[in-house]
Amino acid sequence: MDKIGEGVEHLLHELSVLSINGHEVPSSGFVLTNYGFFLIIASLVTLTFFVLGARRVKLRPDSRYGSLVEAGVEFVRDNLIGDIMGKAGQKYLTFVGTVFFFVLFNNLIGLIPGSKPGTGTMGTTVTWALVVFVTYHAIGIKKHGFFGYLKHYWPKGVWAPLAAFVALLEVISDFIRPLTLSVRLFANMYAGHIMLGIFSIFAALMFEASGVMKVVAILPIALQVALYALELFVAVIQAYIFAVLTAVYINGALGSH
Amino acid sequence: MEITGSLSVLGAGFAFGVGAIGPAIGIGMIGAKTIESMARQPEMAGRLQTTMFIALALAEAIALFGFVLAFVLMGQ
Repeated sequence: MDKIGEGVEHLLHELSVLSINGHEVPSSGFVLTNYGFFLIIASLVTLTFFVLGARRVKLRPDSRYGSLVEAGVEFVRDNLIGDIMGKAGQKYLTFVGTVFFFVLFNNLIGLIPGSKPGTGTMGTTVTWALVVFVTYHAIGIKKHGFFGYLKHYWPKGVWAPLAAFVALLEVISDFIRPLTLSVRLFANMYAGHIMLGIFSIFAALMFEASGVMKVVAILPIALQVALYALELFVAVIQAYIFAVLTAVYINGALGSH
Repeated sequence: MEITGSLSVLGAGFAFGVGAIGPAIGIGMIGAKTIESMARQPEMAGRLQTTMFIALALAEAIALFGFVLAFVLMGQ
């Protein structure tokens, strides 16, 4: 049993934020962390994906790569923007699309063995949630003006004290949004990697043991494959949910309700 | 058997375990109702799915708060 405990401790240490060469992060000064490194890689992948894609823009894409990028952008246009904001939302395609593909590439790169998801640390997800938070308020203020925007918290035609209570709840739930947005993405990525790691520990310990246990090790390995498939699904779904909620928040700020 | 470890570990287990009950029921109901609606109106399936994922994400976040809280308690 002690070996499992040791393994888990080692796993949690590996998943914590360390500098790129495996040391503890100093309390001051700039240091490239292990998560930061893969965050930069994911940014570069996102950038190259679209820069190369933009060079192949044609009325009818004639290369496989061009079709792939077009399918991705069309997915954002139809499923993320179209279903939620309709035609009016098309000008926010760039923002929602950037959020979606950046989170998606971060999540997917994290699944390559040996690498980490840039979104697997609170720093990244909180930053992105705050970017979304500021953006949708800015969009709302730009459309309705500052006081006009504040007015949408106040329900019309309701007894004044009740309306004040509702407005208070609305404001509180508004400030909880970046919290839930960031915790959801972070916890999904972190929990997924811990789960994969723990099944690897089981497999490794069983394989080290003697006799019949070596054969039983096939069970955690099979489960590992299934979990990996699940994590692949979760990586895409979480990017989708992050982008969908961004679109929903922008739609709410535009004041269609 | 000797019992070791601090009470905060027990608390961490409870934080996640008990905290996951509500969201689990909620996610089950969301899934069941969406399937029901899709069977009734297959032409609405696309939009229902989008709405389902939003509702799912909101319910799931509550369970994940328990998960994060568990790690905070473990560190105590």
